[in-house]
Amino acid sequence: MLTKKHPQKWNSPTVKKPINLIVGGYGSGKSEVSVNLARHLVLDETFEARPISILDLDIVNPYFRSREASAELEKLGILPINPEGAQFYADLPIILPQIRGAIQSAQGTLICDVGGDDVGARVLSSLATSFDEATYDMYLVLNANRPFTSDLAGCLKTISEIEFSSRLKFTGIISNTHLMDDTNEDVVMQGISLSEAVCKKTGVELLFVSAEQTILDKINFETIDIPVLPLNRSLLKPWE
Amino acid sequence: MNNNSKTLFARPEAMTDVVSHYCPGCTHGIIHRLAAEAIDSLGIREKTVGVAPVGCSVLAYNYFNCDFLEAPHGRAPAIATGFKRLRPDMMVFTYQGDGDLISIGMSEIMHAANRGEKLTAIFVNNAIYGMTGGQMAPTTLQGQITSTCPAGRDLNETGHPIRMTELLSGLVTPMYLERVSVHSPQHIIQAKKAIRKAFQYQMDNKGFSLIEVLSTCPTNWGQTPNESTDWLEGNMLPYYPLGCFKDSFAEEDK
Amino acid sequence: MTKVLMKGNEAIAEAAIKAGANNYFCYPITPQTEVAEYLAKRMPEVGGVFLQGESELAVANMIFGAAATGKRVFTTSSSPGISLMQEAISYMAGAELPCVIVNIMRGGPGLGGILPAQSDYFQSVKGGGHGDYRLLVLAPSSVQEAVDLMILSFDLADKYRNPVMMIGDGMIGQMMEPVEFPDKIESPDLPPKDWAITGAKGRKPQVVRSLFLDPYKLENSSWHLHEKYELMKKNEVRFEKYKVTDKNEIIIISYGTMARICQTAIDAVEAEGISVGLFRPISLFPFPQDEIYAEAIKKNIKEVLVIEMSTGQMVEDVERAVVGKKKVSFFGRTGGVVPSPEEVITQIKDMIRKKSKSKKKA
Ligand SMILES: Cc1ncc(C[n+]2csc(CCOP(=O)(O)OP(=O)(O)O)c2C)c(N)n1
Ligand code: SF4
Ligand SMILES: [Mg+2]
Repeated sequence: MLTKKHPQKWNSPTVKKPINLIVGGYGSGKSEVSVNLARHLVLDETFEARPISILDLDIVNPYFRSREASAELEKLGILPINPEGAQFYADLPIILPQIRGAIQSAQGTLICDVGGDDVGARVLSSLATSFDEATYDMYLVLNANRPFTSDLAGCLKTISEIEFSSRLKFTGIISNTHLMDDTNEDVVMQGISLSEAVCKKTGVELLFVSAEQTILDKINFETIDIPVLPLNRSLLKPWE
Repeated sequence: MNNNSKTLFARPEAMTDVVSHYCPGCTHGIIHRLAAEAIDSLGIREKTVGVAPVGCSVLAYNYFNCDFLEAPHGRAPAIATGFKRLRPDMMVFTYQGDGDLISIGMSEIMHAANRGEKLTAIFVNNAIYGMTGGQMAPTTLQGQITSTCPAGRDLNETGHPIRMTELLSGLVTPMYLERVSVHSPQHIIQAKKAIRKAFQYQMDNKGFSLIEVLSTCPTNWGQTPNESTDWLEGNMLPYYPLGCFKDSFAEEDK
Repeated sequence: MTKVLMKGNEAIAEAAIKAGANNYFCYPITPQTEVAEYLAKRMPEVGGVFLQGESELAVANMIFGAAATGKRVFTTSSSPGISLMQEAISYMAGAELPCVIVNIMRGGPGLGGILPAQSDYFQSVKGGGHGDYRLLVLAPSSVQEAVDLMILSFDLADKYRNPVMMIGDGMIGQMMEPVEFPDKIESPDLPPKDWAITGAKGRKPQVVRSLFLDPYKLENSSWHLHEKYELMKKNEVRFEKYKVTDKNEIIIISYGTMARICQTAIDAVEAEGISVGLFRPISLFPFPQDEIYAEAIKKNIKEVLVIEMSTGQMVEDVERAVVGKKKVSFFGRTGGVVPSPEEVITQIKDMIRKKSKSKKKA
């Protein structure tokens, strides 16, 4: 389901480079952010760097991966790049040859959903020769309600661990602080202030803040000058 | 064995006053005694925990006057690992037969040794499965007759007997590995020294050690006690050479 | 304490630490490996023991040795790994050693798949290993409940000197939910661990064993274990009811996350005027047999519907509980295929339709 056209209370996010690596701690919401970002870009008429593809590079999580939203994304004209057949369901660390190809010949815009923590980001190191500074951005998805990224020290530790294992540098932060159904405005706002602190300390930009539409409606964005990505959850539990 | 043995030796404190179930001439009893004497001489009975195997020595806990755990067949090194990791202050030894340690428990002993668990394995090699009535063990010698190789062990079918102490000495981590025997008084003295040293190393937090003890099984070998010590000497010694295969602290020790 | 967002596997790990179980042995297997990864970081912080063993066979025996110290110990695994642990589980039950084992179930038999399933019910509640023994088995349906039951499991293990198993389908381990941990954990009065192996200092030597060569002694020991299981049946039955009223036409029996899917279906049919209740066993052993019987025999209940992520295992215990007083039907998907709320709704509606047809005929 798509959001109704809202009277825009905020700026829409955009991306600048062909390759966008969405990385973060376990459970920060990388997959949900990746899916929503791809969807947002494909529907944004002003966004020109097309086609838009989404690449599931999560080799550590066995469930709730962005590949589960493939069919829905394909309908919108997004190209999903996933393992096929039985491998779709596997927990094998599968890097298809087409993945290396997709990264190297990146046309338009590629959103890469990378597995959690330094363990999940290690896959990037194996693809390191495919990246150069001009072509990629790496974003940390930050959820301040996760145990290992709940304060500045924890975030900096996560950042340095991921940078070490991926052999790449972060260029931005995505503030995605939530508590699933228990999320409220305060939770989102606390996340933003932690993200801002991290940006200040590391000198990278705050790309956008993401949260479910119903919560965003309750926040006064006039005082906050950060682009906003409203989330429509795609990776649901069976009873949701 | 010798009829005077009871009067010649006083019972070590680390042994109970229980008559053992071992067959006449079986050397399991001697090996128990050597371990108990080593415990006494180091004064560590109250800190010692033994792990009994499944095999003829399954009831070892009845004969030692210290705390004991009874392990599933082959798993004594895993049990000992779990215990020792939580109680590094205790002295933990496993007592295992050749079927227990090399056959069903090969994986557990190799990995405990390789992790350098701070424990001691007393490994009793009698070239047969004693408890279950004389079947082929991984240590059964070429041509040796057992109930599951009635025509004698055929190396084409079952490979060569495993020299466990040599195999372990291929690992980098273990600290002390020695093969001893108990078929004569001189050998018993050397065996006692080795066991004591292994326990001492453990008390000094030095790492993994294993003492392989060549032992007899007159009952399942179908021999008298005297014949069995001769058979050990004539057949096992040539294939299982005695000696120290590794001692990382030998210099220090002198 | 404030809420944090955690993956079930991490929450289970943290709950154990909160319960004072600082001793963990493991072997990696999907979908529960995050427990090990979390504890590899966390145990050093609390000065605990973390060890990756060479196999689940060894790990379960390490747990045996560790439990003999009298300290709280636990392990986690998934179906094929739990099969390998059965040896030590049986020995620990026989030697009366407390410990907690978590099974984050995946599809089987054999190597099966990595997606969620509930096909290890029989293995968990009917034995799994050899001999006359039972495990106390608990099944959470949310991450918060996994935390609460994990903490409870350690108390129950100590109380009964018996291994406790917590089972959850893969989703329990993999899903993210907000959780809260108690600040301080009050354990009930638990029996002293005078059986622990601590060295024969100032007392007679102690032996932890499951060997009783004398059949009369072994029989005594088995009856002694049996008495404990009877006590569990008396004291430890746990369950939850959802929308159970005297308007219900059907009562669904379902456990774990499957029960949450049933709740969604129950809400949906309620809006269409069909009244269905849910009975969710939380303790699988002891099984809430009498309580299910009491619900099933109510006049308004036309049929009992058991829904599992298996081809039908718990349904046998429900049939035993209902003793033929009402029709018991079963619906399941397995192998990692999770029934959708729509499928459950279809089941309910089909049942109602058949019932009203047969009424018309009569
Ligand atoms: C799982 C399992 N398999 C088989 C047995 C039967 N079993 C008991 S002792 C034994 C062999 C023991 O031989 P060894 O370790 O050489 O000890 P010995 O009796 O010779 O001292 C076997 C096969 C068992 N107890 N458990
Ligand atoms: S069967 Fe062999 S090993 Fe066992 S007690 Fe008798 S002689 Fe010793
Ligand atoms: Mg033997």
